Amino acid sequence: MLEVRGVSTRYGQISMLRNVSITLGEGEIACLLGPNGAGKTTLIRTILGIVRPVTGSILFRGERIDGLTTDQIVKRGIGVVPEGRRIFPKMTAEENLRMGAFAQWGTTEVAGRLEQIFDRFPRLRERRRQIAATMSGGEQAMLAIGRALMGRPRLLLLDEPSLGLSPLLVEQIFEMIQAINRQGTTVFLVEQNARKTLALAHHGYLLQKGEIVGAGTAAELGESDIVRHAYLRA
Amino acid sequence: MIGVWAVELGLFVLVVAALLAERPIAVGLTVAAIGILLLAARTSPRLWGWVATAFRTHRAAALAGAAVLALALPFFLRASPYWTFVATMALIYVTIGQGLNVQMGTAGVINLAGAAFAGLGGYTVGLLTVRLGFAPWLAFAIGPLVAMVVGALLFIPILKVRGHYLALVTIAFGFIFNILMNNLEFTGGPQGIKNIPTLRLFGHAFTTAPTLFGVTLPSHANFYYAALAMAALVTWLAWRLYNSWVGLTLNTLRDDEIAAKCSGVSVTRHKLLAFSIGNLFVGLAGAFYAVMVGFVSPPDFDFGYSLVMLSVVILGGLDSIPGVVLGACLLIPLPERFRMLHEYRLLLYGAAIVLMLLFRPRGLWPAGVRRYGLGSPAGSFGAAGTRAEGVGVSR
Ligand SMILES: Nc1ncnc2c1ncn2[C@@H]1O[C@H](COP(=O)(O)OP(=O)(O)OP(=O)(O)O)[C@@H](O)[C@H]1O
Ligand SMILES: [Mg+2]
Repeated sequence: MLEVRGVSTRYGQISMLRNVSITLGEGEIACLLGPNGAGKTTLIRTILGIVRPVTGSILFRGERIDGLTTDQIVKRGIGVVPEGRRIFPKMTAEENLRMGAFAQWGTTEVAGRLEQIFDRFPRLRERRRQIAATMSGGEQAMLAIGRALMGRPRLLLLDEPSLGLSPLLVEQIFEMIQAINRQGTTVFLVEQNARKTLALAHHGYLLQKGEIVGAGTAAELGESDIVRHAYLRA
Repeated sequence: MIGVWAVELGLFVLVVAALLAERPIAVGLTVAAIGILLLAARTSPRLWGWVATAFRTHRAAALAGAAVLALALPFFLRASPYWTFVATMALIYVTIGQGLNVQMGTAGVINLAGAAFAGLGGYTVGLLTVRLGFAPWLAFAIGPLVAMVVGALLFIPILKVRGHYLALVTIAFGFIFNILMNNLEFTGGPQGIKNIPTLRLFGHAFTTAPTLFGVTLPSHANFYYAALAMAALVTWLAWRLYNSWVGLTLNTLRDDEIAAKCSGVSVTRHKLLAFSIGNLFVGLAGAFYAVMVGFVSPPDFDFGYSLVMLSVVILGGLDSIPGVVLGACLLIPLPERFRMLHEYRLLLYGAAIVLMLLFRPRGLWPAGVRRYGLGSPAGSFGAAGTRAEGVGVSR
């Protein structure tokens, strides 16, 4: 589904990612763990073409996507919950969701999809006419996920979707991700909450200072010394 | 419905009285009456609620009533060519305001060179007719296109950069335009271009005083009606755009460019679209101005006017189509009525912008929330019509 091959990036003179390779199979949940500043968001931005790789290549469904513009890349079937959620603040909840289906605009499906998202997040239905900036953090998180799902992505990239949410809501979001995955969407999840993430993911990668320092199934990662010391404090 | 018309008629009478009153006392009284009425309406929630509901439920009647009154205005102002001219200027600014609003209000693309783009439209008409002998109507049609194309070509590289840079670059562009017009030989230098031929419609020259229903109106009434048609057309187009998927897409650029990209929006292309549509409208107004006054010169399009245009949009309400109309109809006639204010025009506009941004950042008539409903007319726009699934309004 997604293959990142030996990608390196730099911000100006500073090299950020070094020779990063990851592989995501269809229907999987893969996770990316790593401390603050490791370059997790940078990797997401590189996949999306917001940051250009200096070397290496990125393949989505067998075709190279590095070199395409962001809008071309996401139109191939990638949904994004970006770091910080980045909802459209002055637009209503419904407008945010509709924009998620931008690529399929003109199909008669949009209204139906909107209903499905509202069924998934009844809170959003109640607040469909509310200006997004005035919504609570939790509602905004749902909105960001709902927006990403409106495009019916094959691959969903989530960059810390649970940041700043209450434990109960975090639980809900993780259940939601699982449900989305069961319906056939491949998921790539960036998270700080290692325990929960490893319980959910099939396999994962560990990123440190721009390099992949560990990879394996969720169980393997959970057993590894780095993860145990750095994240699980076990 | 009758109530709506009564409100409109009452306001109309007061406004006309305020415009035509000779003595300062009479002016003061009528303006005070308007102010007190508006204040009363705003401070009494019941009264305001009634007015708002009445206008919302009888939208078509309200629009029809406003149209009739707008058409009737020259008859009431017929004693005064001057006020007919001012009313026409207000309509020209409605057109300009809608253009700038597509750029700044809807897409967040800052343009501080409105006057220069109007000037491109106006100078094109002048050059084509006077220097090259084009037919006036043809030149009038080409003017706005030139404003649009020049804007697009010059700004493609710059539209990629964000916010403040664009503001600076457009300011620079405005000044460069003025310097060029002042110094180039073929644009007539500081004298500008004189004797731009007027338009004719069915053999009727726009400089001939029209007689309607047995009443002879000042010749400016021709331009008033033409400007009314232009402003109405542009406002209608802007309204359609606002309610279409294009309007919504442009809103995402204003709100968050990265998120827009992540939703599949091509940021540069859509910014260019907003910039071009806006400049087309602004250029149209400039071309209209040129044929109306019959000459163009550099001071007609200097930076001060760009600020006036900006104030119209900010006062009315960014991204608010009716707000732009209100803003232009307030800001243009007011300084003309109070001549003592005229000298401090720019100060007044500057103060209006600052006060609005501080106390009422969404403008006098803030943009409403689009409604999407079942059975709503599909908002469509031009070539994009087929993609306009369900983004219509139903109110
Ligand atoms: N535009 C930029 N210019 C220069 N440096 C940048 C830029 N964006 C990010 N960085 C740096 O790159 C490093 C990695 O940032 P990144 O956002 O990818 O980290 P992260 O792993 O997502 O961290 P966190 O868990 O805190 O979100 C950081 O040191 C950051 O300061
Ligand atoms: Mg990050």
